[in-house]
Amino acid sequence: MAGPPATPTAAPAFRALGLSKVYRTGETEVHALRGVDLDIAAGEVLVLLGPSGSGKSTLLNIMGGLDRPSSGQLFFGDEELTGLDDGGLTRFRRAHVGFIFQFYNLVPSLTAEENVRLVTDIAERPLEPMAALELVGLAKRAAHYPAQLSGGEQQRVAVARAIAKQPEVLLCDEPTGALDSATGIRVLEALVRINRERGTTLVIITHNSAIAGIADRVLHFLDGRIARIEHNASPIDPAGIVW
Amino acid sequence: MNALDTKLLRDLWRLRGQVLAIAVVLAAATAIFVLSAGTHASLALTRDVYYARNGFADVFAELTRAPADITERAAAIPGVAKVEGGIRQLATLDMPGRHEPMRAIVISVPEYRPRQINRITLLQGRMPSPDAAGEIVADEAFAEANALRPGDTIDAVIYGKRQTLQIVGIGLAPDHIFSIAPGELVPDNRRFGVLWMGERALAAATDRVDAINTLVVLLEPDAVSGEVIRQLDRLLEPYGGTGAYAREDQISHALLDSELSQLDALTRVIPPVFLVVATFLVLFVLGRLIRTERAQIGLMKAFGYSNAAIGWHYGKFALVIAILASVLGCAAGVWMGRAMTELYAQYYRFPSLEYRLDPGVFLIAVGMAVGAAMLGALLGVRSAVSITPAEALAPPPPPIYRDGPFERLAVRAGLSPAGLMIIRHIARWPGRAVLTAGGVALSLGLLFATLQFHDSSRFMIQTFFLRAQAQDLTVTFTQPRNERALHELEQLPGVFRVEPVRAVPVRLSFANRSERGVIESVSDASQLSARIDRNGAKLAVPPRGLMLSRQLADQLGVSSGAEIEVRLLDGERTSTVHRVASVVDEVIGARAYAAEDTLLAITRDALPASGALLRIDPALRDDIIDRLGAMPGVLGVSERSAAFALFEDMIDDNLYTMLFVFVAFASAIVVGVVYNSARILFSERAHELATLQVLGYHRSEVAAILVGELALLVVLAIPLGCVVGVGLGQLMTAMFSSDLFRIPFAPARSTYGVSIIVVLVAAAATCALVARRVLALDLVRVLKARE
Repeated sequence: MAGPPATPTAAPAFRALGLSKVYRTGETEVHALRGVDLDIAAGEVLVLLGPSGSGKSTLLNIMGGLDRPSSGQLFFGDEELTGLDDGGLTRFRRAHVGFIFQFYNLVPSLTAEENVRLVTDIAERPLEPMAALELVGLAKRAAHYPAQLSGGEQQRVAVARAIAKQPEVLLCDEPTGALDSATGIRVLEALVRINRERGTTLVIITHNSAIAGIADRVLHFLDGRIARIEHNASPIDPAGIVW
Repeated sequence: MNALDTKLLRDLWRLRGQVLAIAVVLAAATAIFVLSAGTHASLALTRDVYYARNGFADVFAELTRAPADITERAAAIPGVAKVEGGIRQLATLDMPGRHEPMRAIVISVPEYRPRQINRITLLQGRMPSPDAAGEIVADEAFAEANALRPGDTIDAVIYGKRQTLQIVGIGLAPDHIFSIAPGELVPDNRRFGVLWMGERALAAATDRVDAINTLVVLLEPDAVSGEVIRQLDRLLEPYGGTGAYAREDQISHALLDSELSQLDALTRVIPPVFLVVATFLVLFVLGRLIRTERAQIGLMKAFGYSNAAIGWHYGKFALVIAILASVLGCAAGVWMGRAMTELYAQYYRFPSLEYRLDPGVFLIAVGMAVGAAMLGALLGVRSAVSITPAEALAPPPPPIYRDGPFERLAVRAGLSPAGLMIIRHIARWPGRAVLTAGGVALSLGLLFATLQFHDSSRFMIQTFFLRAQAQDLTVTFTQPRNERALHELEQLPGVFRVEPVRAVPVRLSFANRSERGVIESVSDASQLSARIDRNGAKLAVPPRGLMLSRQLADQLGVSSGAEIEVRLLDGERTSTVHRVASVVDEVIGARAYAAEDTLLAITRDALPASGALLRIDPALRDDIIDRLGAMPGVLGVSERSAAFALFEDMIDDNLYTMLFVFVAFASAIVVGVVYNSARILFSERAHELATLQVLGYHRSEVAAILVGELALLVVLAIPLGCVVGVGLGQLMTAMFSSDLFRIPFAPARSTYGVSIIVVLVAAAATCALVARRVLALDLVRVLKARE
């Protein structure tokens, strides 16, 4: 058992038991995760900090059903994700998870609204695409293509796209990594607002320790393990962050 | 090896699928070219050598009877190098157990010296000996078809006298590479043969001692055949000459010539289509490769590589493809050329028929492949070297989409985002979409144009044998007969109807052109024959004047309304002038028709029948044929059903091999085009496709977006391909039409279906191959990469 166990404050959204991931590249083995145990409560805001290669993204990808652990178990509610096949993981992502990436990953041939519709078309109880854009303050830019939007606007479209299906979980990998601080703060504000208004569990990976202030808990990663957990009694508002 | 060449090798290996796909298309073009040009060159050369070695005549003349020494006067005509006189006589054959009309042309050969003109190549046995009356040499095709060997005997009726002929040899001659019975359209080696007999024996049998009825002439190298023919006609007129003619009108030569020009047409139409597609493919793939290598090109330029050096690097990429294609294509072309030559060997009777590897053909083939590939490379590289190193090193700007009319239409149609992605992607890169759709359309067109050939040929023979003719048997008389002969035929048990065939041998002249032929009498009242145009419509016979087939009208350079001179080639040899009342599009040959009244005006005489059409009771067929064979006035009998079957077999045999080749090649183009499009599409959109999967789209849904774009382009290509096919098909039928046949453009509806299905299957299989890659997409890696 590596790292101290996490203490859930409510019903757990995720429960990880001894998650390990080994990548084999040629002759060498890379241990990306070394037995991570973790409970994440529903509605919690979690920030994962740590240097490159410490295992944050691997954990996020496994939680999002983009990757599989080499060993260990992962539960979402009562469902064991580690027991699902490809189709099961796709259904899991479709129903429960919203993703936000550093480089937005918008489809360039679709307008902002259409990018959101990509998700609402296949979700069970989605928001109206315009309502989702409204939530990130971009309703007026709905008919614009990604190439016609600034980086911050593009990332907010990505946020709108992620929240439009009303997921239980939002997984964000460096959501502000490509943005200046003012724009980054606007994106974080949108994320926190979703969390507060809808109780969406928020997991954010970042290199930027200033962002840790908005989290309920901060997990510090090192060498594929959770080295330290910080509890934040009173998380601050994104507007209060400075970097 | 320098670093750039190492890079080249690795690029080739990395893109091996696409490299191979282009090479296959290019190889298909090369192979077709080598196949048809090689076969054409081999056949033409073999023919020319055979003609020269065996002294194939330049001018031919037939007459009723002339003293043998007329040859000396003919030899005095300026331009004539050599003349030989001889006897040709049609004979009916009687083989035990065969109830079918069998005929032969018996040709005299000098006993004491070899022939100088149209020399026989003896394959087995010996020539007839001077003192043995019934010895003959049989032509190889006839002997093979009837399993005849030296030593076998045949009963024949020659000039009304029954004789037993003994085969002493099997041979070939250049004037009978094809042997076709008079009035027939296709060689029928079972029912018609050529027999060579000693001159004295044939003279005795036909009552022509010291007389001849045929002349063959070899010309001086620079002589003009037209002038010699005119003088020869003047010389032979008193002896019943029916008009001398040059090689072009000699049936065996004309048939061979039409086959050779068909091969030539094939060389000129098909390979260019493949080359165009292949050039675009090279352009397409290299363009893509170069776009992905922007940064590397920038780096190379920053290091000081010249534009030329970078251009040459990518040029070599194209060159490797071209060389690969040349090797594949030449090997396949030679292999198929051999097979094709063997196929032709069954039809053409040459002493030796060898596939010749003309280096010039290879040179052109390789030149075309290299040229196409290099052109593709040149166009691709030009854009790459035109940007500055700084620009090239920066990541390419993201594609900018704007709503054009198509996109707005798609939005208004309420397409799903996936549908919009497809439409906008196509609209954003219209050139690429045109290329994909165009390539598929071209291959569909090519496929259709070749497949319809079979339909059109069948339509042609069906029109000719089933619509234009209704008789069961055609009887040819030894000489023109009057009504009594027809009456005799009517009396035969089982004969339902008899109609006379009246044909008058003439020379038609207009301005400085002239053609020999016959004018056939036609009547709207006929139940056994009709004139049908190449669209299948029945033609009305003009009450006055002549009706010419388009072929003949073109040869004479006349159109309807023209006044042409008609000179009788027998009897009174009078000349009269007649108006061309109509020009009609028929499927077969150069023909002239007139109503009986007009024909009477030409002959100024009674109009005897040269033969008769019979409709009979099929149950009594054998009996009727036996009785007809025994009638002294009957020279020959031909059967419509047999001729039809033979024609069908010939078309099937000749075309099926070709069709198989073209189906394979057209499929190769489809696979090449679709595979390359799909790979390029896939690599450019991997990021988007991965994003969709992350968002919760199933792999099959994601694959559908990729395949959907290709499917849309393929579907758009289909109507376009049909249009291309119709155009190409018309071009090909026009080019394949010869003096003997005019092939109508008459594709069956099913041919559209078959072509489309072949293309769709090839496209679907290729898409499936690429769609598998979507299933193997590594989401994490794709998304981590910056766009």
